Amino acid sequence: MTESGSFGGEDVAQRWFPVAASSDAPFRHVAQAKLLGREYAIWRADDGYVNAWENRCLHRGVRLSIGQNEGTELRCTYHGWRYSSRSGGCTYIPAHPADAPAQTICNQTYRCEERHGLIWVTEAGTGELPRHAAFGSSTSEDASLALRALPLNAPASLVLEMLEAYPAHTAAEATGSHSFQFQVADGDGGGVVAFVQPVDEAHCVIRPVLVDAPPDSRRLEVLRSEALILNRFREVVEQEAASRPSTPVIERDILPVLGRAASETSVSFAPSQSRTELRVVVTTKTPVADGVMSFEFAPIATPGEPAVLPTAQPGAHIDVQLPNGLIRQYSLTNRSGDQERYVIGVKLEPESTGGSTCLHETVREGDVLAISAPRNNFPLRRSATRTILIAGGIGLTPLLAMAETLHAAGQPFEFHCFARSQAHLPFASRLEAMGASVTTHLGLDPSQTARAIEQALGRHEPAAHVYLCGPAPMLDAAQQIAADSDWPEDAVHFEYFANTNEVDRSSSFEISLARSSLTLSVGPGETILDVLRSNGVPLDASCQQGACGTCVVELLDGEPQHQDVHLKPSERAAGDRIITCVSRAAAGERLVLDI
Amino acid sequence: MALTLYSYDLSVNCYKQRLLMSILGLDYETVLVDFFPGLEHKGEAFKAINPLGHIPVLIDRPDDGDGDDFVLRDAHAILVYLAAQYDESGQWYPTTNARLLGEVSQWMLFAEGTTNTASAARLHDNLGYDFNIDEVRAGAHRLFRVLDEHLWFREQEGQEWVCSASHPTIADLAIFPDVILSEEGGISRLDYPALRRWTDRVRRLDGFVLMPGIQPV
Repeated sequence: MTESGSFGGEDVAQRWFPVAASSDAPFRHVAQAKLLGREYAIWRADDGYVNAWENRCLHRGVRLSIGQNEGTELRCTYHGWRYSSRSGGCTYIPAHPADAPAQTICNQTYRCEERHGLIWVTEAGTGELPRHAAFGSSTSEDASLALRALPLNAPASLVLEMLEAYPAHTAAEATGSHSFQFQVADGDGGGVVAFVQPVDEAHCVIRPVLVDAPPDSRRLEVLRSEALILNRFREVVEQEAASRPSTPVIERDILPVLGRAASETSVSFAPSQSRTELRVVVTTKTPVADGVMSFEFAPIATPGEPAVLPTAQPGAHIDVQLPNGLIRQYSLTNRSGDQERYVIGVKLEPESTGGSTCLHETVREGDVLAISAPRNNFPLRRSATRTILIAGGIGLTPLLAMAETLHAAGQPFEFHCFARSQAHLPFASRLEAMGASVTTHLGLDPSQTARAIEQALGRHEPAAHVYLCGPAPMLDAAQQIAADSDWPEDAVHFEYFANTNEVDRSSSFEISLARSSLTLSVGPGETILDVLRSNGVPLDASCQQGACGTCVVELLDGEPQHQDVHLKPSERAAGDRIITCVSRAAAGERLVLDI
Repeated sequence: MALTLYSYDLSVNCYKQRLLMSILGLDYETVLVDFFPGLEHKGEAFKAINPLGHIPVLIDRPDDGDGDDFVLRDAHAILVYLAAQYDESGQWYPTTNARLLGEVSQWMLFAEGTTNTASAARLHDNLGYDFNIDEVRAGAHRLFRVLDEHLWFREQEGQEWVCSASHPTIADLAIFPDVILSEEGGISRLDYPALRRWTDRVRRLDGFVLMPGIQPV
């Protein structure tokens, strides 16, 4: 023993500690752990990734360890907020089904590693989890077996002190220069390394690991005999602890780290320093239908930082900065909580302005691209009783993310995919994996399409929602069919690829910014968005053609001339918001904006 | 046969019966007893049914009105009767396997212990019952420690349930409510990871039902 065992003077926040056994995080379970006074929710996603989070929901502070592990998301049991594996970002707030949670609502995550059958966490460490000499130099040589962990009602310092006299082992020696690991030789291979997890002032956990696992035939016997020895040791230590006056040994205040929780829903006034602030690498580029290429983007790892992409919800899109200087928007196709990568589908449009051509012809696997964080103006209501997804052609991409999210959660949905032929149907194998929930409609003319949509919709039922994405004529027709079948407007959600209407930019008018006390002029050829930005008013925007809705601003007074395809008829009629990249006012009029 | 359960929604002992009857798919009628604050179970009318003044009580009434009502009190006794009488699989109370039956009885007695400690702490904290709270909490921790170690080794053997069988028994159902609601009595399960995993398994059983304070998994 080379140190006193007290934590004074050491920067324990930099150090790695075991907080659980790997077997404590089985499929679809949330484990509860505590280290140095701080509680953690530990859960393994279905892809094997282990998450270590501050054990409280950002909403009401309820322990996440009593929540539900849904495979890629953790759901708080209290009000159903969902958080994504890896990033910890909030993916859904049931009380605000129509709004995507802001990127700023993000749980506090901690770095976490699995080794020797244990889950290790560091509060603030930036270095790698150090290797322990007893286990050999590489993980492949590790033949260890984690023994049963033993929680003790005794401070870690006392346990470390008494481990020196660990009864069953004669040649006890401390390893390394610090006191949290303790190696004892027992004449049977490499012996046991006992890691001590300081829980709080009066509690700790001994996590012993047998350096060389016994043969399977003796495994249970060894586990039992080691547990028996440790149980006896615990009795002695706890008796000693009870007889000593309690002195707090961990002199630190544990304040919960609440992650980042700004307002509950997206606000579009956040300054956008750069539209494409993330760097990703193109890991795969695969054809997924005639003229459609899928691109998979992975985060670029920085040493000491986990490689995690920002949280995306189903329906979200990203801006992609292309090598030819263009910025284009693409929907993410992967489901909520699948934060390892982003997958987009790009249809080659030879007659377009060059975005899809550049991606198809110039961008290769291994290239690094700049993208924006995901934005979601097309959120999925996850508590609907009936969800209908209607996709035309490449409009399938955001709906695929929705379908896979619902499929993974075991919630019912009806996904109707319209395409010219089977060969034109993107991501057919992923559609097939969802079985009977997916219906494909191939080679239909407009009137057949209309009939199929009418049948798919049927009559509206309470808490039923339909999501539409596809070419403009199909969306226009589908909205009309929905209205004719008595679907209320707030149950019909749509996303246009592009605004194909001709935009009139000829008027000259004024805008008054109510919160900023500024009055500005918008001249012919300018947009409200241009004028705001050139006057130093930061406003987030994405497609800049009136399709995506990112640059929406609340309107307090004035008669807007809407030219976007994002707002619904009732939103237009209400006159309380405006899409600033295309819509404006008549000549000589004034709009009062709530910014 | 027509089953009637005298029950109170917040009682762990009544919940044990609802849980088993739901798992077995049994229809039954509920007579709600105003346990708190009415103390109806201590009144004269209820004592005519159970002189001990405890809930739950089960009445099994012959359909044809022929024969006497069968009246049974005490939570764990009712579990034994319901499983032995109505469980066609014979798994929940395995009367034909002497060793397993012995184990079930052993853990049913253990459940008396968790009820008298963990659930007593809950009554103290929730309803102001006069128990020595430190003593009952310490008692619950002693039992949870034993059960956690037992269940950890069961997992190491590839088994999931309290008794030595590949299926759950009424012993699991008798212990489960005392464990899952322990935090209402100030008893943390932080130190019992194997116990926490077992509560997930119970909550995933077909026919599982909730009671107030228990979250789905």
